[in-house]
Formats: sequence, structure tokens, C-alpha cells
Amino acid sequence: MINLAQRDIAHSLGKFITTALGVGMLIGVVLIMLGVYRGLVHDAMIVPNDIAPNLWVVQKDTLGPFAENSRMHEDFKYSLKGFSGVKEVNPLTFQSIQIPQGVKPVRVFALGYDTRTSFQPYHLIKGRPIATPFNEIIVDSKTNFKLDDSISLGRNIYRVVGLTHKAVSFGGDPMIYLDLKEAQELQFLFSNAQIRNDRERQSASSATAMVNSFTLKLYPGINPAEVAKEIKRWKHLECFNAKEQEDILTKNVIERSAKQIGMFTVILLIVASVIISLIIYTMTIGKIKEIAILKLIGASNFTITKMIAQQSLLLGAIAFIGGNIFAQLTADKFPKTIILLTDDALKLMVVVIIVSILSSLSGIRTALRIDPASAIGG
Amino acid sequence: MQNISKTYGSGDSAVTAIKEASFEIYAGETVALLGPSGSGKTTLITMIGCITEPSGGKLHLNEKLIYDTKWQIKDTRRLRRENIGFIFQSHNLIPFLNVRENVTIVPQMNGVAIKDANKKAKELLDYLGVGEKLENMPSQLSGGQSQRVAIARSLSNNPKIILADEPTAALDGQRALSVMQLLKKLSAEQGVAIVVVTHDERMLPLFDRILRVEDGFVKEDKEIKEFS
Ligand SMILES: Nc1ncnc2c1ncn2[C@@H]1O[C@H](COP(=O)(O)OP(=O)(O)O)[C@@H](O)[C@H]1O
Ligand SMILES: [Mg+2]
Repeated sequence: MINLAQRDIAHSLGKFITTALGVGMLIGVVLIMLGVYRGLVHDAMIVPNDIAPNLWVVQKDTLGPFAENSRMHEDFKYSLKGFSGVKEVNPLTFQSIQIPQGVKPVRVFALGYDTRTSFQPYHLIKGRPIATPFNEIIVDSKTNFKLDDSISLGRNIYRVVGLTHKAVSFGGDPMIYLDLKEAQELQFLFSNAQIRNDRERQSASSATAMVNSFTLKLYPGINPAEVAKEIKRWKHLECFNAKEQEDILTKNVIERSAKQIGMFTVILLIVASVIISLIIYTMTIGKIKEIAILKLIGASNFTITKMIAQQSLLLGAIAFIGGNIFAQLTADKFPKTIILLTDDALKLMVVVIIVSILSSLSGIRTALRIDPASAIGG
Repeated sequence: MQNISKTYGSGDSAVTAIKEASFEIYAGETVALLGPSGSGKTTLITMIGCITEPSGGKLHLNEKLIYDTKWQIKDTRRLRRENIGFIFQSHNLIPFLNVRENVTIVPQMNGVAIKDANKKAKELLDYLGVGEKLENMPSQLSGGQSQRVAIARSLSNNPKIILADEPTAALDGQRALSVMQLLKKLSAEQGVAIVVVTHDERMLPLFDRILRVEDGFVKEDKEIKEFS
């Protein structure tokens, strides 16, 4: 049997492809939205995964250090080290800062850590770890700084000694890493001017002895839950294991953004469905005469339904493929990380197939109502 | 046909297009349906073709009861594609199918193998003088060629009867005559009954019988010899 759907499309190929690709771009945007969400989750976990502690210790009654502010005295590190099973305690600071670069400052997320220990909360792609505190800094390549560049921050000029690749905060800002003492000054003193004042007065502020979080490494075989229980009881601090911190980040920090993206995605899908329906309906209306002739010469409802459903599915298929190509081509051009998962694409494919079938229903209904006698017309 | 009627609509706006028409059409004969515009010719021919459901009466095809106050068969489309050929004024052909496909679609729907359908289409188109247009699209044909292809399609399922509603209305006199002569020849050679709606009096000598349709009434014209 002649494939009517294919013959009809071949007869007006350009129009059909253009329409399908238009719908495809819409589907591409849906894919990108899903990719933005995946990127958000991925980015949020980069820093925690690089640090990879067994336990996070933060201020009591907070969801720190990312979801909420958390401040603790640095001296807790000594008592934390005393808990049994604790192998290593790393005091850390986290803060958003602007660093001057060219005409526009770049917003970065700074991680302060004790550079005199072997602890390295990053993956270098170039250069070396910080060897001399107060003079050296590690930045992400996304800041556009290169090795040996100078960065003026607070009262110091730093030299870039190491570069990371795609290390970003949960907000998508590139990471920088510097020594804890300097980071504390930047965070806990009001301004660069004040830092200079303090220096002139030769006074050391006690505020600089604060940190945002401690991360603990435990000895092998030690149950983090046990250690957490003890710390909570004796020190009145909050503890999270790696999984709990991940949940806080994905649920609390990016939840709103995720919902926002979810809403957008749903609306886009509805718009795409309406558009596909309208296209199929219009394509059917444009073939009233032909469908009447087909019915008149004895084509069954099945033959006609098949023609419309096949066209609808083909439209969906081309749009889906076009959408994927569009998403793959543009994903890199976005400022934030976009992760296109095959799994998401496959789920979307199922949605597109369902939408295409549903969309064809209005066209099919119209087609089945056409009176074959109207073909004789006149 | 026995006492076949057709009323469109209901109540005040009801229009009775055909009133109690009774007649028979025999294999191999050519019948003209003649009458002024709006007299009910198209309605009649679509009822003969089982496209329009009558409002009353009985309809037989090959001795089989097709309609008696309601359809007596489940699938009128199947009946059409297996037994009846159709030709109408113009725009007969499916524009997105080429000539060969337009001619083979009906047998293909009847389950005839593509090869056999193609062979038959080629024969018919050659016979009708449009054999070289096999792979052309309908938009590339002239009016006369289109009607020849439409005739080929109407013959493609070896029908018992071909129904044609003003098949030559869109053609000039000479071409119209030649199409009509072709239909006449076909009916003689293939033993197929041909019913043609026309209001071209000059064509009438070509027909075996004339049915006059006037204001919904159908009556046999006995004075046919007058024209021949
Ligand atoms: N689908 C329809 N609905 C309502 N009235 C119709 C319909 N088709 C035809 N008629 C009416 O039936 C009458 C006969 O029409 P028709 O069979 O088309 O005549 P002809 O083909 O002889 O010109 C006309 O009055 C026309 O208005
Ligand atoms: Mg008419």
C-alpha cells in the first residue's frame, strides 16, 4: 500500500521540515532547561565533592555552610580533633567576593583553608598547590586568570600558582582558593579600608579567628553517625554527613531554582503540545478535499487515521532530533553549566511521542467528519 | 432503485432533493442523467454510489440489497472501492500522488499486489493515451489528461458501474466529446455500466438511455431516437 503520509510530506517537504524544525527548537529549549537543572545540581556538588569529608561540622541550628550562614570559633578544631575516630579536622571559610579583572570585576566564591596542611580541596589542572601562605592563590580557569597573574585582594597582591577547571560554587561562580588567615580577614573585617586601618594601628581583630565550617576525615571503619552524635552532645554543634549535606544543597539551596525551571519546562511542553496540535489540525484542514476524495474512492477510516497519525509522529520525531541537535550545539554557549543527559532526552522522547499521538487526535477527528460527497462538490 | 428518496435537513428547512425515484441500470449500458442545476442529479448519483445515504426506498447492486430504510451492508467504502468507479467534474486526483499512484491506490486498498496494480495502471493509461505521464504529478497535467487519468482510476478496480458527475464540465467542446466517446467505448468493450451527469445536449446521442431529473422527480426519456 502506498504510504500516503510520506507522499503528502514529500509533496510539501520544505514546509514540513521547516515546521518540524521550529517545533524542534522548542523541544531543544526544553532539553536545555532540563540541562540547566542537571547543571545546577552538578555545580552545587562540585565543592563538597572536592572536599569530600566524612562529616561537616557547622554552627548549631544552621544548615551551613552553604544553605545558611554558619560561624564558629576556629579553636573548636582542637576539641574536635580530640573525639575518637577523628583523623583530620579542616577549618574552612566560604564567601562570595568580587575580584578586579579588567573593566568588570568577576564574582567568585572563595574557599579559605589551612595551606600548611596537606589538605587540598581542589583538583588542579595546571600549576601547583599553595606553598607560601599570604602570597599565593589558586583560581578556576573560568575567571580568565592565568598562571603567574597578579590579583589584588584586601591588603595583598596574590600570584596565581594553580588553576582548576570548572570548579564553581552552587551559585555558578568560579572558585578561588586561598589561605585561611587571609580569607578570614576578607570575610570578617568590614572592608579593605578597615583591614588597612587595622594594620596601621597594628591591632589584630579577634574576629579573624572565626570559621564557617569544619570538615572531618575519620579513620577507616569509623561510623560517622556515632562521631556526629558525640559532637552534637558535647559541643553543641551541628553535624552532617556527606549525603545530608548533598540533600541540603539540592533541596534547600537549589530547590527554588529547580521549581522555577520545572515550571518553565512544563509551560514549554504545553506550548509545544498546543503548537503540534495546531500544526496537525491545520495540515488536516489543508487536506479536506484530498481526504474527501480518498473516502469517496473507498479509503477506510484506518487508512486516513494512519496517514494523519504517521505525519504527527514524523513531525514529533524530526522535531525531537532537531531539538537534540539544537541543544547540543548551544549548550556550551551558556554561561552556566548545562548537562544534557541521554536519560532526560529519552524521557522527553516518550513525552513527545505521547504529545504527537494526542495532537493527531484533533486532526483525526476532523478528518473522520469530512463528508465524502463533498469531493464531488458543485 | 426502488422509490429512492433523499431529504436534506429536517423541519422547515428540509429540502427533498430526490422524490421516490425508481429505475434500473443494466450492465454495459450508458445512461445520461439530464436536468437543470439543482434538480438533484448529484444527490442521485451519490446515492447510486452509496456515498449519500438515502432517506427512504430500496437500493440493489448486482441483485444484492444494499439499502432498505438503512444500509444493509456494514462497510459502504469497501463496497465502493470494490465495485464502483468514480469520475467527477475536476480535481479528481490526489495532488500529492503521482499518476501511477493515483491509478493504483484503489486496487492497492483492495489488496491487489503492487506489481499487478502497476501493470494494470500502465495498460489503462496507455489505452487512454496518457501512458507517458505515469510518473507525473497531477499538477503537471492538462484538464483533458487529468480526466483521462481519472477514467483510468475509475476502471482500475474492474468496476461494475462507473459514476461520472459532469466529467467534461471543465473541458472545451472537442476534448469533452472525445472524453465522452472514450467512456462510451469503454462501456461497450468492458461491459461496464456508465452513468454520466451532463447537461450538454450534444452528448446525448452517445447514450443508450436518458434519465431526466426535474425538481427531484426522475423519469425515463423515451424520445431518445430524436437525437440520434
Ligand atoms: N449536503 C446538502 N445539504 C442540504 N441540501 C443539499 C445538499 N446537497 C444538495 N442539496 C440540495 O439538494 C438539491 C439538489 O442538489 P444537487 O443534487 O446538487 O443538484 P444538481 O447536482 O442537479 O445540481 C438542491 O436544492 C441542493 O440545494
Ligand atoms: Mg451537481
